[in-house]
Amino acid sequence: MTFINLFNGLVYGSLLIVMSSGLALIYGLRRVVNFAHGALYMLGAYIGFTIAQHTGFWVALVAAPAVMALVGVLLDRYGFRLLQDRNPLTVVLVTFGLLLIIEDFVQTVWGKSNLSMATPALLAHSVTVAGHELPVYRIAVLFFGIAVAVALSLWLRYSRVGLFVRAASTDPVTTSMQGVNTDRLSAMVVGLGTALAGLAGVVAAPFLSLSPAMSSDVLIDSFVVVVVGGLGSLPGAFAAAILLGLLQSMGAVYLPSLAAILPFLFMIAILLWRPSGLAGNRT
Amino acid sequence: MSAAFQGITRPAHIAVATAAALAVGGLAAGGIGSDMLLSLLTQATIFAIFAVGVGVLLRQNGMVSFGHAAFYGLAGYVAGILIREMGWSGEGAVLAALGGVALFAFVLGFVVVRVPGIAFGMLTIAIGQSFYQGATTSRSLTGGADGLHIDWPQTLFGVSLDTLFQPHVMFMVCWTALVLCVAGLALLLSTNFGAVTEAVRDNEERARFIGIRTLLPRVLVFTLSAFVTAVAGTLSALNTGFVSPESLHWSVSGSALMMVIVGGYRRLWGPALGAMLFFLARDFLGDFAEHWLAIFGAALIFVIVFAPDGFSGALVGLWRRMRGGGKSRGAAAVQAN
Repeated sequence: MTFINLFNGLVYGSLLIVMSSGLALIYGLRRVVNFAHGALYMLGAYIGFTIAQHTGFWVALVAAPAVMALVGVLLDRYGFRLLQDRNPLTVVLVTFGLLLIIEDFVQTVWGKSNLSMATPALLAHSVTVAGHELPVYRIAVLFFGIAVAVALSLWLRYSRVGLFVRAASTDPVTTSMQGVNTDRLSAMVVGLGTALAGLAGVVAAPFLSLSPAMSSDVLIDSFVVVVVGGLGSLPGAFAAAILLGLLQSMGAVYLPSLAAILPFLFMIAILLWRPSGLAGNRT
Repeated sequence: MSAAFQGITRPAHIAVATAAALAVGGLAAGGIGSDMLLSLLTQATIFAIFAVGVGVLLRQNGMVSFGHAAFYGLAGYVAGILIREMGWSGEGAVLAALGGVALFAFVLGFVVVRVPGIAFGMLTIAIGQSFYQGATTSRSLTGGADGLHIDWPQTLFGVSLDTLFQPHVMFMVCWTALVLCVAGLALLLSTNFGAVTEAVRDNEERARFIGIRTLLPRVLVFTLSAFVTAVAGTLSALNTGFVSPESLHWSVSGSALMMVIVGGYRRLWGPALGAMLFFLARDFLGDFAEHWLAIFGAALIFVIVFAPDGFSGALVGLWRRMRGGGKSRGAAAVQAN
C-alpha cells in the first residue's frame, strides 16, 4: 500500500517536473508567469489524443509537442515580445485571458466529456518490483521526468545556448549588449517551455483521463511547485515537484480528510520559513 | 501616480454620491416591473460587491488575487453551516460569517502579502482551489459537490423572510450593501490610511525608509478586501438559500477579476461597473453565452492591453472632456495629504 503510494507520488512528481520546468524557463527569460501553461498542457494532450487516434501514440508523442512548440514561438513573438515593456501584471492578465480562450476552444472542439487514451501496447503491461505489481507505463513516466530534468540541467549548464539562457535570465539587457539576440532566445525558450507542457499532456493522457478540468489541477499544482521552489529556479522546482507529489499521495493515505488542503499547508509552511521559496531570493 | 488619487473625494462628496446612488437604486427597485430583470440585477449587484473587494486589493496593494472566491464561498458556507448544524440565528450567522472571514484573512494576510509580486497571484489561486477541493471532498460538513441548502430563520434583523425575498426588496438590500461598501472604502481611503497604503504600494522600501511599518497596512487592505468579498458571499447565500463548491472555484475568482479589469480598478466603483457590464452582456449574448468565458477572456486581453483604465477610466475621461478639462488632478492629491 505504502510502496504503491510512494511510487505514484513519484510518478506525479515527475510529471510536475516537466510542467514546472517549462513555467520556470519562461519566467526566467520573459519574467512572465504563464497562467495559460495548464491550458497549453491540456491542448497538447487533446492534440496528442487526436493524432494518436489516426496514427499511434509514438507519433503523437513527437508531433503534439512539435505543434505546441510552434504555438509557443507564436505566443512569444506576437504576445510576450510585444508586451515586454509593460507592467508584469498586464502580461499575467493577458495569459489569464488566453487560458479562458484555450479552455473554451478545447471544450468546443473536443466536447466536455472525459476522453481516455489507450496506453501504448509496448508499455501496457506490468512488472513485479519488490513484491508489488507496477504498471510499466508509470515507471516509464517516472524515468521520463527524471530524464527531462537531467537533460535540461545539462543543457543549461554545458551548452552555449544554455549559457545564453542563464545569462539572459540574470540580466537580459547586458546579455543583449553582449551580442546575444535575446528575442530569438526567448522565442526558443518559450517554444521549448510550451513544447514541454504539450509533452507532459501527451504523457499524462494515458494515465490521467482527458477532461476540460485537467488544466486547472495541474496548473495549480505546478504553481505551488514553482512558488515553493523559488520563481525561475529549476533545481528548486525539481525538489518541490517531487516533494509535492509524495505529499499528495501519502496524504491521501494517512490524512485523507486533509488531503485536499495539504498542498496549501505545504506551501504556507515553506513560505513562512522562506518567503521567496526553497531556492533563494530572485523575485 | 496622480491617477490613483482621483477616486478619493472629501467626505461631503462621498455623502452626496452615496445619497445619489441610493436614490438611483430606489428608483430602479420601484420602477422596474420585471422580476426577472430585478433578479438579474440583484445577482449583478452581489458580484459588483465581490469585484469591489477584489479591486480594492489591486488598487491599494497592487496585488492581483486569483483566489478571492475562497472568501466569497467561505462566507456562505460559514453562515450555512452555523444555521444548519449549530442552529444559530440568522443574524448571528451573518455576523459570524463576516467576522470569521475577516479574521481568517487577517491571519492569512500575514503570510501571503509578504510573497512578492506575481507569486502572490499564484499563491491565491492555489489557496482558492484548495478550498474548492476541500468543500467538494468533505461531504459530511459541506454536502460535497451537491452543495448545501440553507434554511434561513423566519426573521433576519427584524425583517421577515417573506418581505426580504420580494425581488425589489432583495435588490435594494444588495444595492444598499454595494453603495455602503464603496462609500465606506472611499471614506477610509481618504484618511491617512489610504495615503500610507498607496505609499507602500508604490515603493515599499522607501515607505519603510521614512518610518512606515509596511506589513500591517498591506495586511489590513487584504483583510478589508476579503471582508467586502465576504459581504457578497453572505448576500449570495441569502439570495439563493444555497452554497455549492462552484462558488469557490477559480473560474469565479477569474470572473471577478475580469470585472475588475474591464470596469477599471483605478476607481473604487470601476469594478462594480465592470460587474454590471459583465452580467448584462452575458444576458444579452443569450444562446451564445456558452462561450462567454472565451468572449470575456478576449475582452480582458483587449482592455488590459489597449485601455488599462477600463470602462470607468474611459467614462471619467469623457466626463472631463465634456467639462472642458474640469477639476485639476492636484486638488484631490493635496487633500489626500
